[in-house]
Amino acid sequence: MIETHEVRKQFGTVQALGGVSFTARDGQITALLGPNGAGKTTLLRTLVGMLKRDHGSIAVDGVDPERDPLTVRSNIGFLTDQFGLYERLSTREYLSYFGELNGMERADLRRRIDEVSEMLAMDDILERRSKGFSQGQRIKVALARALLHRPRHLLLDEPTRGLDVMSTRAVRQALVSLRAEGCCVVMATHVMQEVSHLCDDVIVIAKGHTVAQGSPQQLCQRTGIANLEDAFVSLVGTDEGIAA
Amino acid sequence: MKSNDRKSAHRQSKFLVVFLKEFRESLRDKRALGLLALFTLMYPVMFGYILNQTIERATRAEREGIELAVIGGAQAPTLMSQLKEKNITVRKLPDMDEEAIGEMLRAKKVVAVLRLTPKFADNYQAMRPARLELWFDSATEQDRRRRDVEDVLRAYNANVASARLLAHGVSPAVLGPIDLQRYDTGTTAARSAGFIGSLMGFLFFPAFFCGMAAAVDSTAGERERRSLEVLMAQPVRTWQLVGGKWLAAGSLAVIGITLELILAHIGLSWLPLEEIGMSWRMGWGDLAMLCLASVPLSLFASAAQVTVAMNARSFKEAQSLVSMLMIVPMLPGLVVSMMELKTATWMYAVPMLSNQTLMREISKGGELGLLPYVLTFACSALAALALVGFASWRMKSERYVLAV
Repeated sequence: MIETHEVRKQFGTVQALGGVSFTARDGQITALLGPNGAGKTTLLRTLVGMLKRDHGSIAVDGVDPERDPLTVRSNIGFLTDQFGLYERLSTREYLSYFGELNGMERADLRRRIDEVSEMLAMDDILERRSKGFSQGQRIKVALARALLHRPRHLLLDEPTRGLDVMSTRAVRQALVSLRAEGCCVVMATHVMQEVSHLCDDVIVIAKGHTVAQGSPQQLCQRTGIANLEDAFVSLVGTDEGIAA
Repeated sequence: MKSNDRKSAHRQSKFLVVFLKEFRESLRDKRALGLLALFTLMYPVMFGYILNQTIERATRAEREGIELAVIGGAQAPTLMSQLKEKNITVRKLPDMDEEAIGEMLRAKKVVAVLRLTPKFADNYQAMRPARLELWFDSATEQDRRRRDVEDVLRAYNANVASARLLAHGVSPAVLGPIDLQRYDTGTTAARSAGFIGSLMGFLFFPAFFCGMAAAVDSTAGERERRSLEVLMAQPVRTWQLVGGKWLAAGSLAVIGITLELILAHIGLSWLPLEEIGMSWRMGWGDLAMLCLASVPLSLFASAAQVTVAMNARSFKEAQSLVSMLMIVPMLPGLVVSMMELKTATWMYAVPMLSNQTLMREISKGGELGLLPYVLTFACSALAALALVGFASWRMKSERYVLAV
């Protein structure tokens, strides 16, 4: 479970986060909705303890990432919005590296790599070096890396971008099964269809503030708009930023 | 207590995980390996070749003497015998045209060509100025030997003039108000010894070349390829990340410079350095000590490169900054040789300069004691650790996270 209360963060004169409060529960997929520049990346970085908040509180399973970042990080699978792989390592070597960094035992690691690879249907690229991978293959590798150490929490920044229909389905199925296992999944996305089909809870942030939290139905009811996309635009209070 | 032990063992292993991954990746990088091979193999070979050439050139004069081609020499037998007295070998040639003479000089078989014009004997006997032509190529660095030839000609000229004056009852001393005598205390050998001494200082540069590609690639490269943020979000401390990357680049440099020093040692032991007044009195034991004392130099170089590259805004900027950084280690050695300072203990406390000084002193063959080795080792090691500490602190800072 991830709980934040009134988290603020300022860079110079820019208020990146002006008061973010939400609760992301275990066994739920929570969507993080917000226009570009709303502060999602800053929020995610603050949650893993890479940035220090100016105000407010954060608890990941009761642990403050600022106090004990290593414990929090070993319990989080983090997929960033931009990421690179290591071209001179094969997918298996890449996954082993991050597994070892998370303190996994060698035998367990080997088993888990096969497990994750099956879950994401990526057996064909497991022994290949990542040079020349397609965007979809790259996302799969990164997602496998985030799932590898069986974290209780997943922070995913647009996990299905650039994926074809089959791969998108594989990822969604993986997320559903993770939810069933009791994981706390937080997913930033711009795909409304994904939100309404997959997510139990939605957090809307705009200009560094949480504007609303609730299930897709609740958000529609609250705004009195039947369509989630229109409801979102009305909550954010502008027509901009939804293009992506 | 027990959990503390386990925690530190854990930490150690993550540092090793980063190191092994970076090292493996570097070994798969053809560019990094190419640099390593270039400086471990090519460098000593080039170095040995230049040294050999220098020694050859420096000792040739004493060994071979001066060879002079003469055209029409039969007209001046006295001159010929005077040349022979001065250890100048005369090679008699039939008359040649300008082009053939030029060809001969370019082949560097002779120092110069002395041509007596066909009317030489007639003019000489009639006491008219008899013309001698000295053909030489000023581009062939034979200046000193040509001057020797000219000196003989000038002495011959003076002798003949004196004899003629005496025949007319005039003292030859009238024409010689001063008597210039030149003494050159510098030998060719001493001149090239200075040159070779400064050349030897360059033997330590591979410490800065060999790990460069790995240091830049694992920091600025990792950042530009957008994989650093993910890495920093792992349950790993920044010193483990920085330390692993540093050690991977440093190991390549250590391997490179050790191989290079061994090859250079083989070459230098084989070259006839004594002929130019230098020595390489180093045994394998001394070499092992020198290599060991120089291990931290490579680690220091890599620490500096990692620190600079990590903070560069792009891969390209990192590359040019790190290349510029290579000038810095040259400076102390340059200053010392420019100011002609004598070896002093403080020199062992300056990275790079300490290694150069240590090698120079060992090669002279004297007893050094332990202090120079310890100082050489410690100064680079401390500087390296300080830099790694700074880089780790820097990576943890919020400003760095934002720039990733």
